[in-house]
Amino acid sequence: MDLDALLLSRLQFAFTIAFHIIFPSFTIGLASFLAVLEGLWLATRREAFKTLYLFWVKIFALSFGMGVVSGVVMSYQLGTNWSVFSTIVSPVIGPLLAFEVLTAFFLEASFLGVMLFGWRKVGPRLHFTATVTVAVGTLISAFWIISANSWMQHPAGFGRMPDGTLRALDWMSVIFSPTFPERFAHMVLAAYLTTALVVGAASAWRLLRQPQETESRLALRMAVGMFAIVAPLQLVVGDLSGKEVLQVQPAKLAAIEAFWETRTEQPFHIAAWPDRAAEKNQWEISIPKIGSWITAGESAAEIKGLKAFAPEDRPPVALVFWAFRVMVGLGLAMIALGAWGAWLILRGRRPGRGPEAVRPFLWACVAMGPAGFVAVIAGWIVAEVGRQPYVVYGVLRTADAVSPVGAGSVSASLLAFLVVYAVVFSVGALYILRLIAAGPLPPGAADTEPPIKPRPPGYALGAAPDPAAHEEEARR
Amino acid sequence: MPAIIEPPPEPGATQPPLWKRLAWFFGLAAAGTLATAAVAYALKALLK
Repeated sequence: MDLDALLLSRLQFAFTIAFHIIFPSFTIGLASFLAVLEGLWLATRREAFKTLYLFWVKIFALSFGMGVVSGVVMSYQLGTNWSVFSTIVSPVIGPLLAFEVLTAFFLEASFLGVMLFGWRKVGPRLHFTATVTVAVGTLISAFWIISANSWMQHPAGFGRMPDGTLRALDWMSVIFSPTFPERFAHMVLAAYLTTALVVGAASAWRLLRQPQETESRLALRMAVGMFAIVAPLQLVVGDLSGKEVLQVQPAKLAAIEAFWETRTEQPFHIAAWPDRAAEKNQWEISIPKIGSWITAGESAAEIKGLKAFAPEDRPPVALVFWAFRVMVGLGLAMIALGAWGAWLILRGRRPGRGPEAVRPFLWACVAMGPAGFVAVIAGWIVAEVGRQPYVVYGVLRTADAVSPVGAGSVSASLLAFLVVYAVVFSVGALYILRLIAAGPLPPGAADTEPPIKPRPPGYALGAAPDPAAHEEEARR
Repeated sequence: MPAIIEPPPEPGATQPPLWKRLAWFFGLAAAGTLATAAVAYALKALLK
Protein backbone atom coordinates (compact mmCIF):
# COMPACT_ATOMS: atom_id res chain seq x y z
CA MET A 1 0.00 0.00 0.00
CA ASP A 2 1.53 3.31 -1.12
CA LEU A 3 1.27 6.27 1.23
CA ASP A 4 0.27 8.66 -1.54
CA ALA A 5 -1.64 11.95 -1.18
CA LEU A 6 -4.97 10.15 -1.63
CA LEU A 7 -4.42 7.63 1.16
CA LEU A 8 -2.88 10.25 3.46
CA SER A 9 -5.80 12.64 2.83
CA ARG A 10 -8.24 9.85 3.60
CA LEU A 11 -6.35 8.99 6.79
CA GLN A 12 -6.33 12.65 7.82
CA PHE A 13 -10.06 13.05 7.19
CA ALA A 14 -10.80 9.78 9.01
CA PHE A 15 -8.67 10.83 11.99
CA THR A 16 -10.15 14.31 12.31
CA ILE A 17 -13.76 13.24 11.75
CA ALA A 18 -13.44 10.34 14.21
CA PHE A 19 -12.34 12.89 16.83
CA HIS A 20 -15.07 15.33 15.82
CA ILE A 21 -17.99 12.90 15.90
CA ILE A 22 -17.29 12.11 19.56
CA PHE A 23 -18.45 15.58 20.59
CA PRO A 24 -21.69 16.09 18.60
CA SER A 25 -22.80 12.54 19.34
CA PHE A 26 -22.51 13.46 23.03
CA THR A 27 -23.86 17.03 22.93
CA ILE A 28 -26.98 16.14 20.89
CA GLY A 29 -28.12 13.83 23.67
CA LEU A 30 -26.79 15.98 26.50
CA ALA A 31 -28.67 19.08 25.30
CA SER A 32 -31.93 17.12 25.39
CA PHE A 33 -31.02 15.67 28.81
CA LEU A 34 -30.44 19.21 30.13
CA ALA A 35 -33.81 20.33 28.75
CA VAL A 36 -35.49 17.38 30.51
CA LEU A 37 -33.67 18.12 33.78
CA GLU A 38 -34.62 21.79 33.70
CA GLY A 39 -38.22 21.00 32.75
CA LEU A 40 -38.47 18.56 35.67
CA TRP A 41 -36.95 21.16 38.01
CA LEU A 42 -39.48 23.74 36.86
CA ALA A 43 -42.34 21.29 37.35
CA THR A 44 -41.25 19.85 40.71
CA ARG A 45 -38.72 22.36 42.14
CA ARG A 46 -36.76 19.34 43.35
CA GLU A 47 -33.20 20.47 44.16
CA ALA A 48 -31.58 17.34 42.72
CA PHE A 49 -32.70 18.24 39.18
CA LYS A 50 -31.18 21.72 39.49
CA THR A 51 -27.91 20.32 40.89
CA LEU A 52 -27.71 17.80 38.06
CA TYR A 53 -28.42 20.53 35.49
CA LEU A 54 -25.66 22.77 36.85
CA PHE A 55 -23.26 19.81 36.84
CA TRP A 56 -23.95 18.58 33.31
CA VAL A 57 -24.21 22.05 31.73
CA LYS A 58 -20.49 22.60 32.48
CA ILE A 59 -19.63 19.38 30.65
CA PHE A 60 -21.99 20.35 27.83
CA ALA A 61 -20.27 23.73 27.40
CA LEU A 62 -16.82 22.13 27.24
CA SER A 63 -17.93 19.40 24.83
CA PHE A 64 -19.75 21.93 22.65
CA GLY A 65 -16.61 24.07 22.46
CA MET A 66 -14.41 21.12 21.52
CA GLY A 67 -17.01 20.02 18.95
CA VAL A 68 -16.94 23.45 17.32
CA VAL A 69 -13.13 23.58 17.17
CA SER A 70 -12.85 20.07 15.71
CA GLY A 71 -15.73 20.79 13.30
CA VAL A 72 -14.08 23.87 11.81
CA VAL A 73 -11.13 21.68 10.81
CA MET A 74 -13.50 19.43 8.85
CA SER A 75 -14.89 22.17 6.65
CA TYR A 76 -11.45 23.61 5.89
CA GLN A 77 -10.18 20.19 4.87
CA LEU A 78 -12.81 20.08 2.14
CA GLY A 79 -10.91 22.98 0.56
CA THR A 80 -7.35 21.94 1.33
CA ASN A 81 -7.45 18.17 0.73
CA TRP A 82 -10.63 17.64 -1.28
CA SER A 83 -10.74 20.65 -3.59
CA VAL A 84 -11.85 18.64 -6.66
CA PHE A 85 -14.72 17.19 -4.61
CA SER A 86 -15.62 20.72 -3.48
CA THR A 87 -15.53 22.09 -7.03
CA ILE A 88 -17.74 19.35 -8.44
CA VAL A 89 -20.16 18.76 -5.57
CA SER A 90 -20.38 22.01 -3.58
CA PRO A 91 -23.28 23.45 -5.66
CA VAL A 92 -25.34 20.59 -4.19
CA ILE A 93 -24.05 19.96 -0.68
CA GLY A 94 -22.56 23.41 -0.03
CA PRO A 95 -26.02 24.89 0.66
CA LEU A 96 -26.87 22.00 3.00
CA LEU A 97 -23.77 22.72 5.09
CA ALA A 98 -24.54 26.46 4.95
CA PHE A 99 -28.10 25.79 6.18
CA GLU A 100 -26.57 23.82 9.06
CA VAL A 101 -24.52 26.85 10.10
CA LEU A 102 -27.36 29.36 9.63
CA THR A 103 -30.29 27.43 11.10
CA ALA A 104 -28.58 25.26 13.71
CA PHE A 105 -25.13 26.40 14.70
CA PHE A 106 -26.09 30.07 15.07
CA LEU A 107 -29.17 29.03 17.05
CA GLU A 108 -27.08 26.92 19.42
CA ALA A 109 -24.27 29.47 19.73
CA SER A 110 -26.74 32.32 20.40
CA PHE A 111 -28.80 30.68 23.09
CA LEU A 112 -25.86 28.92 24.75
CA GLY A 113 -24.99 32.36 26.16
CA VAL A 114 -28.43 32.60 27.82
CA MET A 115 -28.05 29.02 29.12
CA LEU A 116 -24.69 29.68 30.73
CA PHE A 117 -24.84 33.30 31.85
CA GLY A 118 -28.48 34.27 32.09
CA TRP A 119 -30.50 32.16 34.54
CA ARG A 120 -30.94 34.95 37.12
CA LYS A 121 -31.07 37.68 34.51
CA VAL A 122 -33.84 36.20 32.34
CA GLY A 123 -35.70 34.13 34.95
CA PRO A 124 -36.50 30.40 34.95
CA ARG A 125 -39.03 30.25 32.11
CA LEU A 126 -37.01 32.21 29.55
CA HIS A 127 -33.93 30.22 30.58
CA PHE A 128 -35.82 27.00 29.95
CA THR A 129 -36.80 28.37 26.52
CA ALA A 130 -33.10 28.91 25.79
CA THR A 131 -32.19 25.37 26.90
CA VAL A 132 -34.93 23.86 24.72
CA THR A 133 -33.81 26.03 21.78
CA VAL A 134 -30.23 24.78 22.11
CA ALA A 135 -31.50 21.18 22.27
CA VAL A 136 -33.60 21.72 19.13
CA GLY A 137 -30.58 23.39 17.48
CA THR A 138 -28.44 20.29 18.01
CA LEU A 139 -31.14 18.17 16.32
CA ILE A 140 -31.41 20.61 13.39
CA SER A 141 -27.63 20.41 13.06
CA ALA A 142 -27.81 16.62 12.88
CA PHE A 143 -30.61 16.93 10.30
CA TRP A 144 -28.50 18.94 7.82
CA ILE A 145 -25.29 16.94 8.29
CA ILE A 146 -27.08 13.62 7.85
CA SER A 147 -28.96 15.08 4.89
CA ALA A 148 -25.64 15.98 3.18
CA ASN A 149 -24.12 12.61 4.01
CA SER A 150 -27.22 10.68 2.93
CA TRP A 151 -27.10 12.45 -0.42
CA MET A 152 -23.46 11.34 -0.78
CA GLN A 153 -24.56 7.78 0.04
CA HIS A 154 -27.49 7.81 -2.39
CA PRO A 155 -27.44 10.92 -4.60
CA ALA A 156 -30.79 12.09 -5.99
CA GLY A 157 -32.37 15.22 -7.49
CA PHE A 158 -29.23 16.48 -9.27
CA GLY A 159 -27.86 16.91 -12.78
CA ARG A 160 -24.38 17.11 -14.27
CA MET A 161 -23.42 20.34 -16.04
CA PRO A 162 -21.24 20.46 -19.20
CA ASP A 163 -18.25 21.57 -17.08
CA GLY A 164 -18.55 18.41 -14.96
CA THR A 165 -19.96 20.09 -11.86
CA LEU A 166 -23.20 18.92 -10.27
CA ARG A 167 -26.30 21.07 -9.81
CA ALA A 168 -29.40 20.48 -7.71
CA LEU A 169 -32.48 20.06 -9.90
CA ASP A 170 -34.91 19.17 -7.11
CA TRP A 171 -33.93 20.40 -3.66
CA MET A 172 -36.50 18.29 -1.83
CA SER A 173 -35.01 15.16 -3.42
CA VAL A 174 -31.53 16.33 -2.46
CA ILE A 175 -32.45 17.08 1.17
CA PHE A 176 -34.68 14.04 1.67
CA SER A 177 -32.70 11.46 -0.30
CA PRO A 178 -34.12 7.91 0.00
CA THR A 179 -31.91 6.70 2.86
CA PHE A 180 -32.19 9.92 4.90
CA PRO A 181 -35.08 9.08 7.31
CA GLU A 182 -33.56 5.85 8.64
CA ARG A 183 -30.05 7.31 8.81
CA PHE A 184 -31.23 10.44 10.66
CA ALA A 185 -33.19 8.36 13.18
CA HIS A 186 -30.22 5.99 13.57
CA MET A 187 -27.81 8.86 14.32
CA VAL A 188 -30.10 10.70 16.75
CA LEU A 189 -30.82 7.49 18.67
CA ALA A 190 -27.08 6.75 18.71
CA ALA A 191 -26.48 10.20 20.22
CA TYR A 192 -29.14 9.64 22.89
CA LEU A 193 -27.66 6.22 23.68
CA THR A 194 -24.13 7.63 23.88
CA THR A 195 -25.23 10.32 26.33
CA ALA A 196 -27.31 7.91 28.42
CA LEU A 197 -24.32 5.57 28.72
CA VAL A 198 -22.00 8.42 29.77
CA VAL A 199 -24.53 9.74 32.31
CA GLY A 200 -25.06 6.17 33.55
CA ALA A 201 -21.31 5.55 33.86
CA ALA A 202 -20.68 8.86 35.66
CA SER A 203 -23.53 8.24 38.09
CA ALA A 204 -22.47 4.63 38.69
CA TRP A 205 -18.89 5.74 39.34
CA ARG A 206 -20.13 8.22 41.97
CA LEU A 207 -22.45 5.64 43.55
CA LEU A 208 -19.60 3.16 43.96
CA ARG A 209 -18.03 5.79 46.26
CA GLN A 210 -21.06 7.67 47.60
CA PRO A 211 -23.91 5.13 47.62
CA GLN A 212 -26.40 7.60 49.12
CA GLU A 213 -25.82 10.51 46.71
CA THR A 214 -29.37 11.41 45.67
CA GLU A 215 -28.39 13.19 42.46
CA SER A 216 -26.39 10.23 41.16
CA ARG A 217 -29.16 7.77 42.10
CA LEU A 218 -31.65 9.89 40.19
CA ALA A 219 -29.36 10.34 37.16
CA LEU A 220 -28.58 6.60 37.08
CA ARG A 221 -32.27 5.71 36.97
CA MET A 222 -32.92 8.30 34.24
CA ALA A 223 -29.98 6.94 32.19
CA VAL A 224 -31.04 3.31 32.66
CA GLY A 225 -34.61 4.18 31.64
CA MET A 226 -33.24 5.88 28.54
CA PHE A 227 -30.98 3.12 27.29
CA ALA A 228 -33.46 0.39 28.26
CA ILE A 229 -35.92 1.96 25.79
CA VAL A 230 -33.60 3.39 23.14
CA ALA A 231 -31.19 0.45 22.72
CA PRO A 232 -33.85 -2.03 21.45
CA LEU A 233 -35.39 0.74 19.33
CA GLN A 234 -31.97 1.38 17.81
CA LEU A 235 -31.75 -2.29 16.80
CA VAL A 236 -35.02 -1.95 14.87
CA VAL A 237 -33.98 1.32 13.18
CA GLY A 238 -30.52 -0.10 12.40
CA ASP A 239 -32.16 -3.11 10.76
CA LEU A 240 -34.32 -0.79 8.61
CA SER A 241 -31.20 1.15 7.65
CA GLY A 242 -29.44 -2.11 6.73
CA LYS A 243 -32.34 -3.12 4.48
CA GLU A 244 -31.98 0.25 2.70
CA VAL A 245 -28.28 -0.49 2.18
CA LEU A 246 -29.22 -3.79 0.53
CA GLN A 247 -31.35 -1.88 -1.97
CA VAL A 248 -29.10 1.10 -2.74
CA GLN A 249 -25.54 -0.09 -1.99
CA PRO A 250 -25.44 -3.89 -2.45
CA ALA A 251 -21.61 -3.90 -2.58
CA LYS A 252 -21.48 -2.33 0.90
CA LEU A 253 -23.96 -4.91 2.19
CA ALA A 254 -21.84 -7.72 0.72
CA ALA A 255 -18.77 -6.29 2.51
CA ILE A 256 -20.67 -5.91 5.79
CA GLU A 257 -21.61 -9.60 5.68
CA ALA A 258 -18.46 -10.85 3.87
CA PHE A 259 -20.56 -12.46 1.14
CA TRP A 260 -18.40 -13.37 -1.87
CA GLU A 261 -20.81 -15.47 -3.92
CA THR A 262 -24.26 -14.42 -5.14
CA ARG A 263 -26.79 -16.95 -3.86
CA THR A 264 -29.94 -17.61 -1.91
CA GLU A 265 -29.77 -18.87 1.68
CA GLN A 266 -26.58 -16.95 2.44
CA PRO A 267 -24.95 -17.98 5.73
CA PHE A 268 -24.57 -15.49 8.57
CA HIS A 269 -20.89 -15.00 9.42
CA ILE A 270 -20.52 -14.37 13.14
CA ALA A 271 -16.78 -13.94 12.62
CA ALA A 272 -14.57 -14.30 9.55
CA TRP A 273 -11.33 -13.13 8.03
CA PRO A 274 -12.14 -11.79 4.56
CA ASP A 275 -9.26 -11.91 2.09
CA ARG A 276 -9.75 -9.41 -0.71
CA ALA A 277 -6.94 -10.79 -2.89
CA ALA A 278 -8.08 -14.41 -2.64
CA GLU A 279 -11.78 -13.37 -2.96
CA LYS A 280 -12.84 -15.57 -0.06
CA ASN A 281 -12.92 -15.73 3.72
CA GLN A 282 -9.74 -17.35 5.05
CA TRP A 283 -11.79 -18.72 7.93
CA GLU A 284 -15.32 -18.16 9.14
CA ILE A 285 -17.66 -19.07 11.97
CA SER A 286 -21.10 -19.11 10.41
CA ILE A 287 -24.72 -20.06 10.91
CA PRO A 288 -26.00 -21.58 7.66
CA LYS A 289 -28.88 -20.06 5.70
CA ILE A 290 -29.90 -17.22 8.03
CA GLY A 291 -27.74 -14.52 6.39
CA SER A 292 -30.37 -13.95 3.67
CA TRP A 293 -33.11 -13.84 6.29
CA ILE A 294 -31.26 -11.26 8.41
CA THR A 295 -30.34 -9.01 5.49
CA ALA A 296 -33.44 -9.32 3.28
CA GLY A 297 -36.12 -10.71 5.59
CA GLU A 298 -36.41 -14.10 3.85
CA SER A 299 -34.03 -17.06 3.47
CA ALA A 300 -34.96 -17.57 -0.18
CA ALA A 301 -33.82 -14.05 -1.12
CA GLU A 302 -30.85 -13.92 -3.47
CA ILE A 303 -28.16 -11.65 -2.05
CA LYS A 304 -25.35 -10.39 -4.25
CA GLY A 305 -21.82 -11.34 -3.25
CA LEU A 306 -18.71 -9.21 -3.77
CA LYS A 307 -17.73 -11.18 -6.89
CA ALA A 308 -20.77 -9.68 -8.61
CA PHE A 309 -18.93 -6.35 -8.62
CA ALA A 310 -15.75 -5.49 -10.51
CA PRO A 311 -12.71 -5.57 -8.18
CA GLU A 312 -12.21 -1.81 -8.59
CA ASP A 313 -15.82 -1.21 -7.41
CA ARG A 314 -15.54 -3.19 -4.16
CA PRO A 315 -15.09 -1.51 -0.77
CA PRO A 316 -12.43 -2.72 1.69
CA VAL A 317 -14.05 -5.83 3.17
CA ALA A 318 -12.31 -6.70 6.45
CA LEU A 319 -12.56 -3.21 7.96
CA VAL A 320 -16.26 -2.85 7.08
CA PHE A 321 -17.05 -6.41 8.25
CA TRP A 322 -15.37 -5.98 11.65
CA ALA A 323 -16.52 -2.39 12.25
CA PHE A 324 -20.10 -3.60 11.74
CA ARG A 325 -19.61 -6.42 14.24
CA VAL A 326 -18.12 -4.05 16.80
CA MET A 327 -21.14 -1.72 16.39
CA VAL A 328 -23.72 -4.51 16.58
CA GLY A 329 -21.89 -6.31 19.41
CA LEU A 330 -21.86 -3.14 21.51
CA GLY A 331 -25.50 -2.51 20.61
CA LEU A 332 -26.46 -5.95 21.90
CA ALA A 333 -24.43 -5.31 25.08
CA MET A 334 -26.38 -2.03 25.51
CA ILE A 335 -29.67 -3.90 25.16
CA ALA A 336 -28.53 -6.44 27.77
CA LEU A 337 -27.43 -3.66 30.15
CA GLY A 338 -30.74 -1.85 29.64
CA ALA A 339 -32.74 -5.02 30.30
CA TRP A 340 -30.70 -5.73 33.45
CA GLY A 341 -31.17 -2.16 34.66
CA ALA A 342 -34.90 -2.14 33.91
CA TRP A 343 -35.30 -5.41 35.81
CA LEU A 344 -33.39 -3.97 38.76
CA ILE A 345 -35.57 -0.85 38.77
CA LEU A 346 -38.77 -2.92 38.67
CA ARG A 347 -37.43 -5.25 41.37
CA GLY A 348 -35.91 -2.47 43.42
CA ARG A 349 -38.92 -0.54 44.60
CA ARG A 350 -37.73 -1.47 48.08
CA PRO A 351 -34.61 0.36 49.33
CA GLY A 352 -31.40 -1.58 48.88
CA ARG A 353 -32.64 -3.57 45.89
CA GLY A 354 -32.54 -0.96 43.10
CA PRO A 355 -29.83 -0.64 40.44
CA GLU A 356 -27.82 1.76 42.64
CA ALA A 357 -27.37 -0.99 45.26
CA VAL A 358 -26.05 -3.69 42.90
CA ARG A 359 -22.31 -3.18 42.57
CA PRO A 360 -21.77 -5.55 39.59
CA PHE A 361 -24.40 -3.52 37.70
CA LEU A 362 -22.68 -0.26 38.64
CA TRP A 363 -19.34 -1.62 37.42
CA ALA A 364 -21.01 -2.79 34.20
CA CYS A 365 -22.39 0.75 33.69
CA VAL A 366 -18.90 2.21 34.23
CA ALA A 367 -17.39 -0.27 31.76
CA MET A 368 -20.05 0.57 29.15
CA GLY A 369 -19.53 4.35 29.51
CA PRO A 370 -17.36 4.69 26.35
CA ALA A 371 -19.36 2.07 24.39
CA GLY A 372 -21.57 4.67 22.69
CA PHE A 373 -18.58 6.55 21.28
CA VAL A 374 -16.95 3.34 20.04
CA ALA A 375 -20.22 2.19 18.43
CA VAL A 376 -20.75 5.58 16.74
CA ILE A 377 -17.22 5.58 15.28
CA ALA A 378 -17.59 1.94 14.18
CA GLY A 379 -20.94 2.78 12.56
CA TRP A 380 -19.45 5.68 10.64
CA ILE A 381 -16.58 3.44 9.48
CA VAL A 382 -19.20 1.05 8.08
CA ALA A 383 -21.02 3.91 6.35
CA GLU A 384 -18.00 5.72 4.92
CA VAL A 385 -15.51 2.93 4.18
CA GLY A 386 -18.39 0.80 2.89
CA ARG A 387 -19.20 3.53 0.33
CA GLN A 388 -15.70 3.28 -1.19
CA PRO A 389 -14.35 3.54 -3.83
CA TYR A 390 -16.85 6.38 -4.23
CA VAL A 391 -17.08 9.63 -2.33
CA VAL A 392 -20.47 10.33 -3.96
CA TYR A 393 -21.86 6.86 -4.56
CA GLY A 394 -21.89 5.93 -8.24
CA VAL A 395 -21.06 9.51 -9.27
CA LEU A 396 -17.60 10.54 -8.10
CA ARG A 397 -14.73 8.27 -7.11
CA THR A 398 -12.66 9.20 -4.07
CA ALA A 399 -9.49 8.98 -6.16
CA ASP A 400 -10.91 11.63 -8.52
CA ALA A 401 -11.92 13.97 -5.67
CA VAL A 402 -8.59 14.62 -3.94
CA SER A 403 -6.69 17.92 -4.20
CA PRO A 404 -3.63 18.09 -6.48
CA VAL A 405 -1.24 18.25 -3.52
CA GLY A 406 1.90 16.28 -2.78
CA ALA A 407 2.16 13.43 -0.31
CA GLY A 408 4.78 15.42 1.63
CA SER A 409 2.36 18.30 2.30
CA VAL A 410 -0.39 15.97 3.47
CA SER A 411 2.07 14.00 5.64
CA ALA A 412 3.14 17.23 7.34
CA SER A 413 -0.46 18.36 8.01
CA LEU A 414 -1.45 14.88 9.20
CA LEU A 415 1.50 14.85 11.61
CA ALA A 416 0.55 18.32 12.85
CA PHE A 417 -3.04 17.19 13.41
CA LEU A 418 -1.85 14.11 15.33
CA VAL A 419 0.31 16.22 17.66
CA VAL A 420 -2.15 19.11 18.16
CA TYR A 421 -5.17 16.84 18.66
CA ALA A 422 -3.22 14.63 21.06
CA VAL A 423 -2.41 17.66 23.22
CA VAL A 424 -5.57 19.79 22.92
CA PHE A 425 -8.23 17.10 23.02
CA SER A 426 -6.43 14.94 25.57
CA VAL A 427 -6.32 17.90 27.95
CA GLY A 428 -9.99 18.69 27.23
CA ALA A 429 -11.10 15.09 27.63
CA LEU A 430 -9.11 14.67 30.86
CA TYR A 431 -10.65 17.83 32.29
CA ILE A 432 -14.14 16.54 31.44
CA LEU A 433 -13.32 13.19 33.07
CA ARG A 434 -12.08 14.98 36.20
CA LEU A 435 -15.31 16.99 36.36
CA ILE A 436 -17.35 13.82 35.96
CA ALA A 437 -15.34 12.00 38.64
CA ALA A 438 -15.82 14.93 41.05
CA GLY A 439 -19.58 14.50 40.79
CA PRO A 440 -22.49 16.92 40.91
CA LEU A 441 -21.97 18.17 44.46
CA PRO A 442 -19.15 20.55 45.49
CA PRO A 443 -16.48 18.93 47.71
CA GLY A 444 -17.64 18.64 51.30
CA ALA A 445 -21.23 19.56 50.48
CA ALA A 446 -23.94 17.52 52.12
CA ASP A 447 -26.29 15.61 49.93
CA THR A 448 -29.19 17.84 48.96
CA GLU A 449 -31.82 15.21 49.72
CA PRO A 450 -31.62 12.59 52.44
CA PRO A 451 -32.12 8.94 51.47
CA ILE A 452 -35.65 7.66 51.81
CA LYS A 453 -35.87 5.51 54.96
CA PRO A 454 -37.73 2.23 55.10
CA ARG A 455 -40.79 1.96 57.33
CA PRO A 456 -40.44 0.03 60.59
CA PRO A 457 -40.42 -3.77 60.19
CA GLY A 458 -43.70 -5.51 60.87
CA TYR A 459 -45.74 -2.72 59.32
CA ALA A 460 -47.91 -3.77 56.38
CA LEU A 461 -45.89 -1.58 53.98
CA GLY A 462 -42.65 -2.28 55.84
CA ALA A 463 -40.60 -2.75 52.70
CA ALA A 464 -41.84 0.41 50.94
CA PRO A 465 -40.15 3.83 51.32
CA ASP A 466 -41.84 6.16 53.79
CA PRO A 467 -42.39 9.61 52.27
CA ALA A 468 -43.25 11.07 55.70
CA ALA A 469 -39.83 10.02 57.03
CA HIS A 470 -38.25 11.59 53.97
CA GLU A 471 -40.03 14.92 54.56
CA GLU A 472 -39.18 14.89 58.27
CA GLU A 473 -35.51 14.29 57.44
CA ALA A 474 -35.56 17.07 54.89
CA ARG A 475 -37.04 19.54 57.46
CA ARG A 476 -34.24 18.72 59.87
CA MET B 1 -15.81 34.82 43.12
CA PRO B 2 -19.26 34.53 41.48
CA ALA B 3 -20.00 31.31 39.60
CA ILE B 4 -19.22 31.55 35.87
CA ILE B 5 -22.30 29.50 35.07
CA GLU B 6 -25.17 31.39 36.63
CA PRO B 7 -27.43 29.34 38.93
CA PRO B 8 -31.20 29.93 39.06
CA PRO B 9 -32.65 32.63 41.31
CA GLU B 10 -33.03 31.70 44.97
CA PRO B 11 -36.55 30.62 45.97
CA GLY B 12 -38.61 33.67 46.88
CA ALA B 13 -36.21 36.12 45.25
CA THR B 14 -37.97 38.96 43.44
CA GLN B 15 -37.57 38.74 39.69
CA PRO B 16 -36.67 41.74 37.51
CA PRO B 17 -39.56 43.15 35.43
CA LEU B 18 -40.47 41.31 32.25
CA TRP B 19 -39.04 43.98 29.93
CA LYS B 20 -35.69 43.68 31.66
CA ARG B 21 -35.68 39.89 31.48
CA LEU B 22 -36.62 39.98 27.79
CA ALA B 23 -33.93 42.58 27.14
CA TRP B 24 -31.32 40.29 28.75
CA PHE B 25 -32.69 37.29 26.83
CA PHE B 26 -32.41 38.92 23.42
CA GLY B 27 -29.26 40.83 24.39
CA LEU B 28 -27.39 37.65 25.37
CA ALA B 29 -28.67 35.84 22.25
CA ALA B 30 -27.53 38.73 20.04
CA ALA B 31 -24.14 38.76 21.80
CA GLY B 32 -23.77 35.04 21.07
CA THR B 33 -24.64 35.58 17.40
CA LEU B 34 -22.23 38.51 17.12
CA ALA B 35 -19.41 36.57 18.80
CA THR B 36 -19.93 33.66 16.38
CA ALA B 37 -20.03 36.03 13.40
CA ALA B 38 -16.87 37.81 14.59
CA VAL B 39 -14.95 34.51 14.80
CA ALA B 40 -16.28 33.45 11.38
CA TYR B 41 -15.25 36.71 9.70
CA ALA B 42 -11.86 36.65 11.46
CA LEU B 43 -11.18 33.14 10.14
CA LYS B 44 -12.34 34.17 6.66
CA ALA B 45 -10.05 37.22 6.71
CA LEU B 46 -7.15 35.10 7.93
CA LEU B 47 -7.52 32.70 5.02
CA LYS B 48 -7.80 35.35 2.29
